[in-house]
Amino acid sequence: METTTAETSSTGAEGAAAHQPLTTAEEKRKMKLLVAMDESDGSFYALKWALDHIFCYPIQPDLEESNMITLVHVQPIYQPFIYPAGPVVYAAPAVIDAVKQAQAQNAAAILSRALHICKERKIKAETLILEGDPKDRICQAAEQLHADLIVIGSRGLGTIKRAFLGSVSSYCAHHVHCPVLIVKPPSKEAHK
Amino acid sequence: MEDKQVMVLALDESDHSFYALDWILTHFFGSSSNNSFKLIIIHAKTSPVSVMGFGGPGSTDVLHLVETDLKKTAEKVISKAKDVCSSRSVTDVQYEVIDGDARNVLCDAVEQFHASILALGSHGYGAFKRAVLGSVSDYCCHHARCSVMIVKKQKPKQKP
Repeated sequence: METTTAETSSTGAEGAAAHQPLTTAEEKRKMKLLVAMDESDGSFYALKWALDHIFCYPIQPDLEESNMITLVHVQPIYQPFIYPAGPVVYAAPAVIDAVKQAQAQNAAAILSRALHICKERKIKAETLILEGDPKDRICQAAEQLHADLIVIGSRGLGTIKRAFLGSVSSYCAHHVHCPVLIVKPPSKEAHK
Repeated sequence: MEDKQVMVLALDESDHSFYALDWILTHFFGSSSNNSFKLIIIHAKTSPVSVMGFGGPGSTDVLHLVETDLKKTAEKVISKAKDVCSSRSVTDVQYEVIDGDARNVLCDAVEQFHASILALGSHGYGAFKRAVLGSVSDYCCHHARCSVMIVKKQKPKQKP
């Protein structure tokens, strides 16, 4: 899948990750997490679940710097033309701008919600907005950032739906080169 | 919170599984006091009938041999796992050998132990191999009722 359109990536409030030399003991505990976000409830649930289960227990003051979370939101590329039944019609520039703005606002809203969740649990996080096909972008981001673990929600689609709609979590589980944690939405009987 | 979360880790005799065990022990059971998870290590012992199919003459003897071999493999896997865990001083581990196909065994184990995470290694097969050989990690991803963590061997990074 070729993505020839320009990608925009902007890091959020926290800035770039600090690469400091670590002792082996610290390095053992330090995990770089990449959390893939979209508008669905599933990914927010995944974020909360990951924060609660992975980070909740070792809140030790000296290990504040130990775990880095990067929140990634991938925007699908907007096709600037519309296919009605007849010939191709190019959308007016105004429409394109409006849609781009809406997308940017959408992305900002998602990431600010996610950052808020992290802040509630006193976890530092940085944000990343990418454009393109979510599957590819997430895998690429994981490689570039040398993530230790990718956390991704799952919509819980059945086999047939997954074949038609595609599954980002499934694709990532197979193609990324680092461990993947797929968090499923809670089942009806929520047992602890 | 005294209530420990349960993590089920699936092991077979491949290197990938032991890499996964290693990775998990490093990141989730590392150093100091952090034993926030109770680890249950499961080895699924396939039944000899499924391995052999329905054989021809003399199959009963072969069945017995295959069964013994599978049992030996299971013991080897568990003892190796015990060694790895004790060398990392992780003591709160439960070991289980369960008969059956790995996929079903793991999903059932998740239910039985009320696990919150299922961790497994991955052979890293491509799409074709996966279609032909089947993928336990694939199946578990989709059918387990809890979060699934698939640990892969990292490709050697090309550091600048």
